[in-house]
Amino acid sequence: MAFAEIVQILMVWTPFLLEGFVWNILISLVAMTIGTVIGAVLARMRLSERRMVAGVSLTLTELTRNIPTFVFLFYLAFLIPVEFEFAGRLYLFPAWFKASLALSVAVVGFVSDNLSVAWRHWRNHDRLAALLFVPNWTTYLLIIVMASSTASVIGVGEIVSRCNVVIAAVGSDEAMLWIYMYAICYFFLLCFPLNWAMGRVKQRLLAHVHRAAV
Amino acid sequence: MMVNRPWLRMVCVGVLLALALGQEALASRLDLIQKRGTLIVGIKSDYPPFGMLNAEGQLVGFEADLAADLARRLGVQLQLVAVTSTNRLQKLEEGSVDVVIATLGDTPQRRQIATLIEPSYYASGAAIIAPPNAHLSNWSDLRGKKVCATQGAYFNRAMTQRFLLDLQIFNGTRDTKLALRDGRCAAWLYDDTGIVGLLSDPEWGSYESPLPSMMVSPWAMAIAAQERGSPLERTLSDIVADWHRSGWLMNVEKRWGIKPSQFLADTHNLWTRTGSDGNPVCTRQANGDWPAACRNKLLLSSTDVTGLYHFGLLLKERAGLDLTILYDVYDRDLFLAGLWMTLQLMLGSIVGSLLVGCLGALVAEGLPWLRGLVRLTSALGRMTPPLLLIYLVFFGVGHIMVSHYGWTFDGAMIAVSCLSLYTGCAIVFTLLEATAVLKHQEPGFTLSWRRLPRVLRLAYAAVVASLINVVKATGMASAIAVPELISASTAIVAEQGNPAVMMNVLMLIYFLLVMLVMQIFNAIERRMIRHGVR
Repeated sequence: MAFAEIVQILMVWTPFLLEGFVWNILISLVAMTIGTVIGAVLARMRLSERRMVAGVSLTLTELTRNIPTFVFLFYLAFLIPVEFEFAGRLYLFPAWFKASLALSVAVVGFVSDNLSVAWRHWRNHDRLAALLFVPNWTTYLLIIVMASSTASVIGVGEIVSRCNVVIAAVGSDEAMLWIYMYAICYFFLLCFPLNWAMGRVKQRLLAHVHRAAV
Repeated sequence: MMVNRPWLRMVCVGVLLALALGQEALASRLDLIQKRGTLIVGIKSDYPPFGMLNAEGQLVGFEADLAADLARRLGVQLQLVAVTSTNRLQKLEEGSVDVVIATLGDTPQRRQIATLIEPSYYASGAAIIAPPNAHLSNWSDLRGKKVCATQGAYFNRAMTQRFLLDLQIFNGTRDTKLALRDGRCAAWLYDDTGIVGLLSDPEWGSYESPLPSMMVSPWAMAIAAQERGSPLERTLSDIVADWHRSGWLMNVEKRWGIKPSQFLADTHNLWTRTGSDGNPVCTRQANGDWPAACRNKLLLSSTDVTGLYHFGLLLKERAGLDLTILYDVYDRDLFLAGLWMTLQLMLGSIVGSLLVGCLGALVAEGLPWLRGLVRLTSALGRMTPPLLLIYLVFFGVGHIMVSHYGWTFDGAMIAVSCLSLYTGCAIVFTLLEATAVLKHQEPGFTLSWRRLPRVLRLAYAAVVASLINVVKATGMASAIAVPELISASTAIVAEQGNPAVMMNVLMLIYFLLVMLVMQIFNAIERRMIRHGVR
């Protein structure tokens, strides 16, 4: 297959794939939101004076750390019904939201650990050290964006499953390699600059913290 | 901060068990369909000419025509949804489709999971498609050979047992096609109706179907299990009966260029036959059932069983827990083989990740002129979703290797390599950071093979966190049909229809495995502290 032909295929399908990638980001943002809210509650509980409350939080955090996201994805896909009736109306429980829920489990553990540290810094008026949470959180978002590609296995129309649709539609085995590589580029284009920027932010913050300590 | 106390462990397990969710059924499906004003029918998109996509991307075919006639007779709109062999019964159970008309063979097991409409509307059998010159004249020629199959086909299990096939189960027909074309298996076990469609494609012209069809099975429409005896079942049943009486199905068959099937001719004869009393033979009896002569002859399973089998069935009858992995030999072997494969994947990924991580760090520190390259490669590796990498290597690179050099690779090896690469890249950065710290503490410190343990010790917590993540991610191998725990569990669910039980068992086992790995790493750390390794 000629290079020009492959470029042609990729160009034609770009809007379709791009839309899929927007889904990846959306799924990840929803997962981060859910995970951050629950994780923040756990982090707050961990700082409690009462040992019982702190213990419960630690146990729950531990639980989320033991749950494999990929398996949990199948678990939710098989066990949560697709439609449910509430007050006489039908509501959908979309597959992408199941993916967000599954991914949010990992976020809970991350936020619980990192935010409790940040909280302690904040209390000690170590504001800059506490702000380290922001770059860490953003870096974790990127990890979740990459993990969101697993949503394809339960049939969410994100970029990886769209790649498979394109491959089936194009009907050429040689195009496969290029289509998957092209999809990888999307992840790289999002993750590389953000990761780099967050690394810089983190370095600057740490430098300030050290200077303050001296 | 790992779990060290036994009660904490118990709480974790308990909470997990409590996650088993209850499911509520909606009232009557027929009411629901009328309320919605739309009939949602699941048909196949990859099974020409029964269910396929046309040039406009719409679902069409023999089964789409049946669905359209159903909606017309019910007086509602029609919505077609593409389903696969793997998910069609799952979609029915979770309620995202009302009816499935998707080349579904009628079997006793499926009757446990779903309500199958009698009479059947079509029939097919199991056959194989093989590359030219495969030299197969008998089913037993395939004994012990790798045979590709599509997950969810009713005959997979029985044919495996009967002919001792080494079945490689793939998620969809696309994946199976590629696997057969790439020489991953000697033949593809598939419906004879599907093979007819395939062989008409010029691309497959040289392939052949040398063996006679086995286990001929009637195809039934399916509705949810709880719809047994409901108005929906009766309505659909009457419609199919009418199709047979009028001979309409044979017209649809002709319209799609399918060669006339014996089944439709026989059934048409049966349903138009009149008895000695002058009435049609196939009319509903007083109790509403069709007479025995017009029904599918399905074997009843024997009830006099002993031992584990008895215990398993008792558990199913009393508590509704269908633990087929306990009493069914086939399921148990499948599950244990999956567990063994998962353990191998976990161990392989841990070793592989450490290898990639350590080698990367050593090269970056030892050969300064390669440092930039290692850092760039590691950054790339970290930013490639592992699942995408697995697909890229297995399908993309795998295809090139096969077509140019004739090499095939094992799926498990590919999964382990990709996961190791992804995790190893993260470990490279961790080790380089730790090296930087040591350099700061002791000017003149350089990373070498002998000093690697010190760096690993400093970075222990971060490295272990990465390794735990890769252990959790080993399930991704199921995406390329590696027969590990998730593949085994979904295959059992597709066959037995016990998702609640199987998913909880799967989750619990994975949870315990992750915990076990954590415990081992904790024990190693405690040992190191005791022996004064800093």
